[in-house]
Amino acid sequence: MSYAYLFKYIIIGDTGVGKSCLLLQFTDKRFQPVHDLTIGVEFGARMITIDSKPIKLQIWDTAGQESFRSITRSYYRGAAGALLVYDITRRETFNHLASWLEDARQHANSNMTIMLIGNKCDLAHRRAVSTEEGEQFAKENGLVFMETSAKTAFNVEEAFINTAAKIYQKIEEGIFDVSNESYGIKVGYGGGAGTAGAGRGDASLAPKGGCCG
Amino acid sequence: MGGGKGGERGTTYSNMEHADAADDVDYPAGARQQEMRRSVASPSSIKEKSGGSTRVVELDPSGVMDDYEVVFVKDNVSVHPTQNAVGRISGRLRLIKQGASLFMTWIPYAHGGVTREGPNVVIKGGLRNRMGSNRAAERDRNLYTIRAVSLSEMRSIRRHTPPFGWQYIIIVLTSGLAFPPLYFHNGGVKEFLATIRNHAILVRSAEDANVYLVNDIQDPLQRSLTSLELTESPAPAVPASSQEAPWPVILKEEQVGRSPTVADSYYRQEQSSRKTKDPARDLSMHVLEKFSLVTKFARETTAQLFGESRMFLDGLDMDRGPAPRPPQEASVHADVKIVENAKEAQPVLAIKPADEQPTSPPKPTEEELNADEQADEEATTNVGTFELVDGTQVLSSSASSLDFGDFDNPLTDNSPALVWGRARPPPLGSEEWRSFLDSEGRVVDPKALRKRIFHGGVEPEVRHVIWKFLLGYHQFDSTYAEREFLMASKKEEYEILKAQWQTVSPEQAKRFAKYRERKHRVEKDVVRTDRTLPYYAGEGDDNPNITLLRDILVTYSFYNFDLGYCQGMSDLLSPILFVMENESEAFWCFAALMERLAPNFHRDQNGMHSQLLALSKLVQLLDGPLHDYFKQVDCLNYFFCFRWILIQFKREFEFENVIKLWEVLWSHSLSEHFHLYMCVALLKRHRRRIMDEQMEFDTLLKFINELSGHINLESTLRDAEALCLFAGERGAACIPPGTPPALSEEAAEGWSD
Repeated sequence: MSYAYLFKYIIIGDTGVGKSCLLLQFTDKRFQPVHDLTIGVEFGARMITIDSKPIKLQIWDTAGQESFRSITRSYYRGAAGALLVYDITRRETFNHLASWLEDARQHANSNMTIMLIGNKCDLAHRRAVSTEEGEQFAKENGLVFMETSAKTAFNVEEAFINTAAKIYQKIEEGIFDVSNESYGIKVGYGGGAGTAGAGRGDASLAPKGGCCG
Repeated sequence: MGGGKGGERGTTYSNMEHADAADDVDYPAGARQQEMRRSVASPSSIKEKSGGSTRVVELDPSGVMDDYEVVFVKDNVSVHPTQNAVGRISGRLRLIKQGASLFMTWIPYAHGGVTREGPNVVIKGGLRNRMGSNRAAERDRNLYTIRAVSLSEMRSIRRHTPPFGWQYIIIVLTSGLAFPPLYFHNGGVKEFLATIRNHAILVRSAEDANVYLVNDIQDPLQRSLTSLELTESPAPAVPASSQEAPWPVILKEEQVGRSPTVADSYYRQEQSSRKTKDPARDLSMHVLEKFSLVTKFARETTAQLFGESRMFLDGLDMDRGPAPRPPQEASVHADVKIVENAKEAQPVLAIKPADEQPTSPPKPTEEELNADEQADEEATTNVGTFELVDGTQVLSSSASSLDFGDFDNPLTDNSPALVWGRARPPPLGSEEWRSFLDSEGRVVDPKALRKRIFHGGVEPEVRHVIWKFLLGYHQFDSTYAEREFLMASKKEEYEILKAQWQTVSPEQAKRFAKYRERKHRVEKDVVRTDRTLPYYAGEGDDNPNITLLRDILVTYSFYNFDLGYCQGMSDLLSPILFVMENESEAFWCFAALMERLAPNFHRDQNGMHSQLLALSKLVQLLDGPLHDYFKQVDCLNYFFCFRWILIQFKREFEFENVIKLWEVLWSHSLSEHFHLYMCVALLKRHRRRIMDEQMEFDTLLKFINELSGHINLESTLRDAEALCLFAGERGAACIPPGTPPALSEEAAEGWSD
């Protein structure tokens, strides 16, 4: 499949926040509550279209457990984008964000685009972290923020695509040297071929504020 | 075609699937021999090549494709395990076609009535005493037998046509392993290659004219180089279109486990072949062989032949074994002619080999084991590692020359039953299990038991009993009564441990963050463990077996509070609970396993790092070029093998095969670190793709991840065993003491050899 660019993403965050479910919802359009827990890393991929250009997202879904951190760190290498995920119903997953961010800052490319994701916003009745807190943390750390639900698919599409749009913007602005693969971007052979791929057309790039509920 | 070469076909998955399916052919060769007999006996499907020594069986276009057909037969094809003629094993080489698939077998001749213990190699008079024993011969016979290796499993065939002496071929498998050289005492290498070429894609390597790449269609340039080769080949017996057909899955699991002697009896029943001098033999071809292309191995062999030419005539009959005497003695004359040639040529040819290779018996030297230090042409041909070819030759020759005494020789203590295509014996059943016990229930010979399990595994009905021994929960020298007592008292102990956390009141839990966190983590993970299996199926925690998983894991995190719970543990427990079907017993077996594997889960990952380091050293030892490649792409941390090691390949195989693998690993028969040799075997199997596609960390990790579910267990075990035997002490030296799953001293009682 031809693409103009390939972006490497990495999904990080505590265990059980819904990283694999977000990936599955994005790549397969389904919510599967019963799936094997992730050991090491799993991969997913999907084509999207931005600015009429087919872009392939290669997504690394990592294991969340603390003791695997040393190996997870090796996955940051060459990632263009990261989804840093917490669970809005479990406060401790929000509390651990700083430590995840520190890892990301330390081991990833400094130009990596990081999207903060408060997942499971369908479980509003069990909310333990307010939207404002999420927004605040994102603002303080220069991240893009969104609340999502892998279960209802709310904002899932947007989370991945907005991240890609940010990365694409950085390419356009010349921040990335796309010939250097350590930025997590590969130039493909289908450059400009806007109709290629299984992308679902131009997705809305406007983030939806707030959350379902 | 070309199942083993993932690159040339559309998807990675289907390719690997086919390659692995084709790996399964090892065992039921015997079963197929019956079919072959039918084909061979059917006059309509046999075409005699007049005057030739090969019998070509053509496919009847209207015939049933399920039939097996022998498309090539060559007698007096020998393996020369030692330098001396005494150790030679003669046999019959066949190419067998089924559907679109081609298989090769090489079955050594049996002697008279075949019995398990009987001498199967005919040893000529005076030479007999130089052989250690007939058992050694039998062992060699079994060691070298090639039972139906699929062409899709082959990487390359190297043809050696020395100026005098016998032509021989070396077959390198996609795994990088190689069969020992097969010597064609009656000629026929050309016909052999021609026949293969009629049924598969055989490409002459651009780098070495004597190397034929099997199923290699990646390089059109190389393909074109095959033209004008093998002009004397028989007319193609298969329409070209069938070459496009994928390798069919031929064998079913249940076929495994038949007696290997079927093939031997088949041999005896088969009509006598008509061996004559091979008209296609062209001695001038030998003369034309360039010395620059003569490999180190060929040189050694040449040197061997010098030493042996004197007794060669004596040994002539030996190689024929009990084979039906050919109607004419032409083949004998042919051989004699070669010897005469050899004698004449000796002074001329001796110069070159003597320069470069001493004529002394090959020994496993440092250089030979460190391929990276030895940049001879064979190591760089990119058709697989050849050091193993030499290595096995060295290994077997030294083993034979050691008389199979009680030396610390891997072949002496661990008959490599899985090597070279010999099938796994049937699993250990309850009756056989009882034979390992004395009247009070002690395992009389734990080492023999472990070895038996290593080679064949165990039947499901005795698994729950035997795993307790393998895991170290039960001592081998315990009696029935002692075990009964232990189980009862351990059940009590388990209940106490479990009550420790089950009696935590809600008020207490509020003030017990560690407890809450652990329980929560376990609960989150058990509902994400093996839910596709009926035993654990369902949603949420509605399956009582999921509750058992939870209870055992939380209890374990209290039993070993310092370690706690870590992801991966539920993967390790799930098969154990499935086998034990008893909560307390599963708990103690799991706890015993964690005695070995706990370092995998240490927060600093020291156990994982030490294993990955050991793996790196093993690859350096067993596949220098691959090691160099990983070094070059900065992948020496071997993180791409992380999941394999962390949970003992749990995610790489179907559940049933995980169970089969684990009991092999836990038998600690050949090495307690056999899982690392599994890693090496898998990496070697895909080495060419890894290097050809220049995989780097990301692509490599993805590639390795996607092997999951596409790995053939038996062939990987076989490769790993061969590698482990080959590496021997040097392999063990790569693995520092204490590397998991090393047992603590206390736990190791009853395990030391």
